[in-house]
Amino acid sequence: MVEDWKSYEPLIIPDIPNLHRIEVYEEHDGYRAFRRILDNPEEWSRTNVTNEVKAANIRGRGGAGFNAGLKWSFMPQPDERPRYLACNGDESEPGTFKDRNIFEFNPHLFIEGALIAAYAMSVDVIYVYIRGEYIDWVRIFEKAVEEAYEKGYLGEDILGTGIDIEMYTTYGAGAYICGEETGMLESLEGKRGYPRIKPPFPAQKGLWGNPTTINNIETLANVPLVINNGADWYQSIGAEDHNGPVLYGISGHVNKPGVYEYPAGMPVEDLIYDVAGGIRGNKELKALIPGGTSTPVLRADQLEGVSMDSNSLRDAGSMMGTAGMVVLDEDTDMVDLLWRITHFFHHESCGQCTPCREGTGWLEKVLLKIKNGEGEIKDLDLLLDMTTQMEGRTICALADAAAWPVRHTINRFRDEFEERCKKSVHAVA
Amino acid sequence: MPEVFIDNERYEFEGDYMALQFILDLGKEVPFFCYHPSMSIPANCRQCMVKAGQYIKDEETGEYELDENGERKIRWFPKMQTSCALKLSDGMVIQTQETSEEAERAQKDTLEFLLINHPLDCPICDQAGECPLQIQTYKYGPEGSRFEVKKVHKPKRVQLGPRVTLDAERCINCTRCVRFAEEISETNQLTIVSRGDKNYPMTAPSETFDDPYSLNTVDICPVGALTSTDFRFKARVWEMNQTPSIDITNGKGCNIDLWTRDNEVLRITPRHNPEVNDYWMPDEGREAFEQFNKNRVSRPSITLDENNQSNTSWNNAVETFAEILEAHDPDQLAVFGTPHASVEENYAFNKFFNLLGASNARFTPHIIPGYGDDFLITDDQAPNTNGCRLINLEETDDTGIQSAVTSAKVVIILSDDLVGRGVLSADDLADRYTISLATNQSDTTEASDLVIPITCVAEHAASYVNIDGRIQRSFPAKETKYTNRRLNLEMSEGRLDRYGTNFDNWVNEEHKIDCLPVWEFLNHLGERIGLEFQYDHSRAIFDEMSDRIDPLKGISYERMDEELGVQLPIEQQEVTQA
Repeated sequence: MVEDWKSYEPLIIPDIPNLHRIEVYEEHDGYRAFRRILDNPEEWSRTNVTNEVKAANIRGRGGAGFNAGLKWSFMPQPDERPRYLACNGDESEPGTFKDRNIFEFNPHLFIEGALIAAYAMSVDVIYVYIRGEYIDWVRIFEKAVEEAYEKGYLGEDILGTGIDIEMYTTYGAGAYICGEETGMLESLEGKRGYPRIKPPFPAQKGLWGNPTTINNIETLANVPLVINNGADWYQSIGAEDHNGPVLYGISGHVNKPGVYEYPAGMPVEDLIYDVAGGIRGNKELKALIPGGTSTPVLRADQLEGVSMDSNSLRDAGSMMGTAGMVVLDEDTDMVDLLWRITHFFHHESCGQCTPCREGTGWLEKVLLKIKNGEGEIKDLDLLLDMTTQMEGRTICALADAAAWPVRHTINRFRDEFEERCKKSVHAVA
Repeated sequence: MPEVFIDNERYEFEGDYMALQFILDLGKEVPFFCYHPSMSIPANCRQCMVKAGQYIKDEETGEYELDENGERKIRWFPKMQTSCALKLSDGMVIQTQETSEEAERAQKDTLEFLLINHPLDCPICDQAGECPLQIQTYKYGPEGSRFEVKKVHKPKRVQLGPRVTLDAERCINCTRCVRFAEEISETNQLTIVSRGDKNYPMTAPSETFDDPYSLNTVDICPVGALTSTDFRFKARVWEMNQTPSIDITNGKGCNIDLWTRDNEVLRITPRHNPEVNDYWMPDEGREAFEQFNKNRVSRPSITLDENNQSNTSWNNAVETFAEILEAHDPDQLAVFGTPHASVEENYAFNKFFNLLGASNARFTPHIIPGYGDDFLITDDQAPNTNGCRLINLEETDDTGIQSAVTSAKVVIILSDDLVGRGVLSADDLADRYTISLATNQSDTTEASDLVIPITCVAEHAASYVNIDGRIQRSFPAKETKYTNRRLNLEMSEGRLDRYGTNFDNWVNEEHKIDCLPVWEFLNHLGERIGLEFQYDHSRAIFDEMSDRIDPLKGISYERMDEELGVQLPIEQQEVTQA
């Protein structure tokens, strides 16, 4: 757990006016990490860059928390095929809105990180896939890419080194599933966002069948920090086994919702009561969804001493996810909340796999029935059965993401659900 | 050799194998919907789930590690695996629904999901009786339903194209049809629209699904979502007989099944033959079913005076034919065989006139250049062009046919609409006595003086040589006035044939055509004019051919049946032609 967080200075979205402009970014040591690598190709060989990032253990910020450098090392040796880096900025799970701040306030940090990743993996082309609803941020980001091209950080013969890296920006049409990494690849190829079966993994067969690595925007924004300050420094930030700065997206019933940058491993209570200004109207905390609505909800009494890092949250019975925290106060109707979450996953299921296509709809319909006071106790068990029937039975994790909130919300707030169900008409002895 | 263990049995395998295909090849069963051996594997129906793992091998010794009880240690995969996309590897352990309760449970769960939004309108659904969803629900599905809320409603009776009707509510989104249009017919006319439980296959806006192979999607649809617009609501599958046959609408010779009820062919579906047509056939070939029922020549007919054809008796037909033959020298006859009829028919026909002293029958191939594609539609409009070459009919072109007619007094045409396809005109035939032996009414029969009705591919056993030189044969699928299903061992019998009587609803004499196989008619004619000509059955003709014609040596109906047709050394045949 991090205790001295009050003295923390933001690194990813520092408070510097107009940092999104390349001159300002360069004034504040922007592109220094990338230049250092290019200027010292012997010290910073492609392998060394990968190893440094691997040693820093940047845990993927898109939700799965996988070591980014390790992921890079899965790329096969370069051959005649083109190689791609696909950057995932399609964040669209309710409660998750952190990458938006990078696009708005520090796009060049991400571009620099992507360039370093591209260098490390000998990638020729970088695709940046941004959530379609973020069209304003797409425009800001496109401007930043333009500037980077003008300054020679992107394009052919980058800074006279003979290295060519292109970057293309593209955006989605409103489907959550296109944020699933292989769904995103399909969408980038211009197809329906149907997630792919793995294996083959994208590193072997990704975009158009070529080696591809997919990283989250925030993950890549951490890369220049690691190169500038070293893996040891990065390891010193945050909690054990979960390092570095994290963008906490805090929403729900707090006084100051927003995106806040602090080290990983922040005490949950500090985040809610200090950082986000406490609960609206001085109400009591009822529950917290820690990392986007697919992560299991935690009751207030489960949150004692819990910090925002994967180990602590796992022990408490949930997950770090994207650190998109949804704070729920005492007035929250858990049945309504869960119905709304299942509505989201029902709406967003791509419909490819049977358990998810049919299960998400059935979950929502049964919850609507309960919400309307027409449910029966047996429906709760049916819902729990369904979650077992869905989990781990599909190509991608959307079915899991839809099943977890149902299972855990019902299990953790069973009384509330039972209260909404119709009373049994049978006399109980 | 690498080994796998399926349901506690050890099997060896070689090369790349997916578990499902391997299991199916063993003759075992795992239920599935989206998987199709000729298309890509999307693993989206999630029905073929099995429990799988790996025996742990000691890296150094290469031996399997054992636990304290001496059993091999297994590392189970954390999730259920879809066997269609599970690549076999050495030491893999697979438990299907037969040995694993978890697998059985997972399959049941998927079927429960598949059925919640399915309309369950089996009693009025065309697919009932041959529906994988129905069959597998019966075998592996849950009992009853726990679904007590509203089903999703989607478009029904959507005319996707001229031949295919969609009921989107029945669709289980296996994407077989979409993949067919992408990977097999390559028209890319279908996609899935919408998302989640609202999605269903559709064409692009304002596009129609007029793919020349569109009806294959009806065959591979594992539910009643895609139905044949033409066949919808016509018959239940269990009422029909299914008889193997050959597509005669073009030169490819797609292997097909003729589906008959009450001596009418009601639909045609492809029969799997990896050497010819795989699982597919063109829509054109299916639409040919009408020609077996309608517009047939039934009973001989004769032209008494100009433009007035009338039916006559078989006796009179034989008598008239005989008189014409007796009144003319063999060199006054123009005798035309045809690539539209079988090898046996052409052989017997040609032999008959050879015995009379006429030279070999002529034929002209029926080719429309540019008509075909590089898949199953060919420029050749006839099923047996190579068969005519095989028995050394005299191949000629349109002018050759015309000049033969010009120098003849009598024209005898076997089952070829020479007038309809523009080789001859009715005027060419006007001053000559023209005899047609034909299956269907055509411009040629209309211009003929004597028309002898003969059996079509659906009514006799006979063989055809396709454009690639493969000889394949048909079976009688429907009765004529003179055949009896129960006495004819070549004919398949359905339940209704076995239990039906003459008073049964399904027995309708009107549907039986009054026609004879060519050889049988020629038997009568030969007897009348004292010619030594007698074939009891097409088998007798084929046996004689296989004795006399080199490429047919060692080939029999039995061999064709076993091997789904036999490839002939046809290049050699073409050399002897030249």
